[in-house]
Amino acid sequence: MNSKLLILLLLILGLRFYSFYSHQYQFKDGERVDFQAIILSQPQAVGSQRSFTANLKNQKIRITTDGSVEVNYGDSVRISGKISNRGKGLLMYFPKLEVVDSSSNILQSGLGSINILREKLISLFSGTLAVPFSSLMLGIIFGIKEQMPKDFSNNLRIVGVFHVIAASGMNVTLVGGFISAFFVMFFKRQAAIGLSILAIIFYALLAGLEPSIVRASIMGILVFSAQILGRQTLAVNSLFLAGFGMLFLDPSVISDVGFQLSFSAALGILYLKPVFGQKEGIISELLTTVAAQISTLPILLANFGTYSIYSVLVNGLVLWTVPILMMVGGAGAILGLILMPLGQIFIYLCYPLLLYFASVVNIFGNIGGVLIVQSFPWQFAAGYYCLLVSVLLLMYKQE
Amino acid sequence: MTKKYILIGSALFCLLGCIFLYQCIIYNDKKLHLAICDVGQGDAIFMRTPDGSDILIDGGPDDSVLACLGRHMPFWDKTIELVMMTHPHADHMTGLIDVVKRYKVVSFGYEKLGNPTGAYKKLIDLLNQNHIKQIFLWQRDRFETSDGVVFETLWPTQEWFDQNSISETSSDANDFSMLELLTYNHFKALFTGDAQVSAMEKIESLAGRIDVLKVPHHGSQTGLNAEILDILNPKLAAISVGAKNKYGHPAPFTLDLLKSKNIKTLRTDQVGDIEIVSDGKNFSVN
Repeated sequence: MNSKLLILLLLILGLRFYSFYSHQYQFKDGERVDFQAIILSQPQAVGSQRSFTANLKNQKIRITTDGSVEVNYGDSVRISGKISNRGKGLLMYFPKLEVVDSSSNILQSGLGSINILREKLISLFSGTLAVPFSSLMLGIIFGIKEQMPKDFSNNLRIVGVFHVIAASGMNVTLVGGFISAFFVMFFKRQAAIGLSILAIIFYALLAGLEPSIVRASIMGILVFSAQILGRQTLAVNSLFLAGFGMLFLDPSVISDVGFQLSFSAALGILYLKPVFGQKEGIISELLTTVAAQISTLPILLANFGTYSIYSVLVNGLVLWTVPILMMVGGAGAILGLILMPLGQIFIYLCYPLLLYFASVVNIFGNIGGVLIVQSFPWQFAAGYYCLLVSVLLLMYKQE
Repeated sequence: MTKKYILIGSALFCLLGCIFLYQCIIYNDKKLHLAICDVGQGDAIFMRTPDGSDILIDGGPDDSVLACLGRHMPFWDKTIELVMMTHPHADHMTGLIDVVKRYKVVSFGYEKLGNPTGAYKKLIDLLNQNHIKQIFLWQRDRFETSDGVVFETLWPTQEWFDQNSISETSSDANDFSMLELLTYNHFKALFTGDAQVSAMEKIESLAGRIDVLKVPHHGSQTGLNAEILDILNPKLAAISVGAKNKYGHPAPFTLDLLKSKNIKTLRTDQVGDIEIVSDGKNFSVN
């Protein structure tokens, strides 16, 4: 990208952020508020308490609850309570909390027929496999979380692999990567682009049109289309332009975990994956996952996995199954919608991997080894990314 | 490239085959398997008869019963031959909604007792939508499977039911709680729902000596007394109860009573699922 243009765009974005955050409403300490918001971070557990962030008049507010109401990232909640504003940012302790609707939003409820399809998928999987295997599969492929039994999702959280089912933005990026790589093997470029775009849109519809999924799909479509055309620079430029547009429209998006994940996962696929060399087929898809994981690790750890000392080990043990589960299970889902028994064969084929995945998660979840980390050190993330960028720069220079 | 897909495919087929064989062997041991599920504060009891019929009594307070079914059924089996609901209280009923949604249920036995809650209505609607055979159970009603396992309803009787009407919201539904006796040759187990002493006293002689007692009402002190235990004389008492529940279940009175009679007692809040296996003569706890 032209460096003058880049500086101009950054300036515009800076101004936008300045005006956005300087014209903010000032909350008084002790002010009572009653508002509806979407949970912007995966709630973290400290004892029985849960804390998470939400948006209140475009400001981030950290909310601590007594844990009596179970909430998840992306849930829409009604919150009423007293604000504490004593120089440490906006905080709120033990408000009245009510989940408005944890599985749908206005966009989604408008799409009745898609919901029927979604219901069909849920009953296809849960009618074929038992809990928690069916729920794990739905979570991994479609980010559908509502079928997850409490104990199992607790264990997922404890061992630090909850991101596999919760990071909806990243799922889209990964699936987009698989799909485009798959189509490009069998079709001409134009056809592959068209099919990939259709498939990503279809997937986004099924996953539930949450804002984070919509954003991830837009990024995915731009990046993978440019990649199919073989234009690396175009892919990078369009990713940055998409990010620019989204931040310009709503600067608070930058604090959304889904946005952070899908943006950095896409960057990882663009820059990191080529470093591993040109591979084909399943290896290429594994590398897509690995690249996305490496480039998002600090975000994943900060938001989903600061709890277990085994988290890195468990991630290493189970993550290789994710691309295989996505492909075999995805094929099962599509075939199952057409002809149920055919799809079920594919879903059964996933069972050994799901059994393995769930056993690892339960074994380590029951061992415990939970660390209570109140906040993730930003220095770790900074150091990690500095190292990653330097390694990448070196490798690109050698080529 | 396609070679790799075939390789992965065949690896998955191979693993799946191994799991098929393994589960075939462990689930076809020609024994009766009984699991008091750990569903928190509530009741759910799963049984698999020697020939592989699946029976569920109550569904617990939430969908945790599904995980229990997943642990005790082979992965390809999504049919439950018989589901029974002892009484329509949330901690016995709610999980059944998820069961009916996800499993093919053949028959559903319950008592003629309504409940104005949305959950009850939803359950009955689901039963009707899925054309599940519904049966009201009374004393002396029996289910018998081909392998010789018999379920007999001991309570309530139709006369008693007609004489004692209750207001639909009242907690007295516990008095109406169904009592089920399972017999497999010499092995007997009594499932008591949330029954109270008054009902237990009426059926103790019908049940006679038993091997396993599901302690009534999560171990509440209103479910058992010394005289009942003397007649039933169980070898094992199982209490289905949630850790730190707000009702204070199980009551120290009940625990002391069981201890004084030297009855081995297991609690789901302490050991998780309680799995009992019987060949019709003896039984063991896994």
